[in-house]
Amino acid sequence: MTIKFPSVDFFQELARRMEADAAEFEKLGFCDTTLGIQVNGDAPHLYALTFEVFDCTDVRELSSPDDAELDFTLAAPLSLWREMFESIKKTGHPEPAFTLNSLSHVGDQMAVVYDDPEGHDKFYRFMATIQAFVDQASDLDIEWA
Amino acid sequence: MSYYGSTDYSYNSDFNLRIRDIKKGNLDFGWLDNARDTVEIRRRDPRRGLMLEDVEVGDYAVENAPEVVRENRGLAPRGAILAEGSDQPDLGPSLNKKSDVWGYRVQRYWEEAMSRQWNASTDVPWQDMDKYEIPEDLEYAFCQLCTLLSEVEMIATDLPSKWSHHMNSHFQEVKAFIATQCIDEARHAEVFRKRALANGVGLLRASVRGEHALKGILEADSYSEGSVFLHVLGEGFILTLFRSSEFISPTPVEQRMFQLVMQDEARHVSYGLQHLKYLMDNCPEVRPQINGFLDEAERHLTGLFNPDQLESMIVLGGKGTSPKCIKRGVEVVGAFQGKQIQEYFHRAERAGLPERKERSPLLELQERMIAGIQAANAG
Repeated sequence: MTIKFPSVDFFQELARRMEADAAEFEKLGFCDTTLGIQVNGDAPHLYALTFEVFDCTDVRELSSPDDAELDFTLAAPLSLWREMFESIKKTGHPEPAFTLNSLSHVGDQMAVVYDDPEGHDKFYRFMATIQAFVDQASDLDIEWA
Repeated sequence: MSYYGSTDYSYNSDFNLRIRDIKKGNLDFGWLDNARDTVEIRRRDPRRGLMLEDVEVGDYAVENAPEVVRENRGLAPRGAILAEGSDQPDLGPSLNKKSDVWGYRVQRYWEEAMSRQWNASTDVPWQDMDKYEIPEDLEYAFCQLCTLLSEVEMIATDLPSKWSHHMNSHFQEVKAFIATQCIDEARHAEVFRKRALANGVGLLRASVRGEHALKGILEADSYSEGSVFLHVLGEGFILTLFRSSEFISPTPVEQRMFQLVMQDEARHVSYGLQHLKYLMDNCPEVRPQINGFLDEAERHLTGLFNPDQLESMIVLGGKGTSPKCIKRGVEVVGAFQGKQIQEYFHRAERAGLPERKERSPLLELQERMIAGIQAANAG
């Protein structure tokens, strides 16, 4: 089964996998944040992912950032998201240059957009959970938009 | 022994007679006198178990407590029934005002800290280290970085330890949260020590300038000054340093280590930000004092940008010691230092101190430092 990226279905599948792998995510601890995933390109998309306790409880596509209270948004072109997920696919974890932190730290490859510094800091407070969440895509057959 | 109680209970006949009587089964249930009304507790989210916020009810809730705690100067938890008169011992807490210590959402930070604990022995994939060959210059640079980070973590353990017993036990949540910080920071010192030794190089040069900077944190005159220096300024900078260290880590093993430590660090920064905000909201008259303190603290902090640390970061950032690598490393380090300063100003502004950007010596100092490195590099 292939799954399209970007799409609500893609993130819902990661949410379903998170729930199925409860032991892994319970070990990482409570994760409470609503984050945005922005995919830039000819047809840009913005998704709101809500994490509560040990689960991703809600996935929505937004027409505007104002449609949800986002703690922070990870914004990158489709090509970069693709490179990141293809790197994860190789071993189940990203190569060093493709962790979420590395991609967003220096330069302008992936922007971390935020208003409130505490919302921004949630990216780092829950880094291991958010990284593990995206790493679950390692064995997905992805159809790129 | 430096404290002798006012009563020697081992030779107090009234006390001993009463104990003997109780053992005969003659209970008087005096401890139920003046008991408070029972309370109704509701678990708001069963997935989280029973949260501290769930038991914030009635006389037990911090919101219902006075701003200044005058009655309880001992170890009685908030809501306990105190002995009449002055029988309760005075342990001499000096932080008796809520704004001295409190931070918005501190209960949440405690729960998060308890839930997200990790183990430096088993949660870093040490077994994978053999899979990677790290060039010698990068390994030495990484061990120098680990040496400085170990020093930093020592002070971050000591500062909350130093102030905990000065806090009135009424503020149990803050005492508990900073206790989690102590274990977090002790674990960070552990993980950096282990990493420095894991490949055999070991710890390198301790930092004179860095330790002077860190001493400034420990010697702050008040808890709030120590907190704003440690949590907002120092740990804010270290959080960005951890992010940078993850970015320049030689292998996924070190990346995992930094992903874990940055989570704890960001939580401490959040508490510090919320304490500063609470202080500014509720005690605005301390603003000049905090600003005056930060004027000096920001100068102190530049000690963390000591040459040994800068050089090791440049070698790691450029991935080597060739002129081309060093040039690249200088660019990478310059970029993250700019980020450290901007994020600090943003946090200070959000906490209610927007004037830091105008007053701070950090921007000028950073520019001088980078210009110096670039000039040396060009030469």
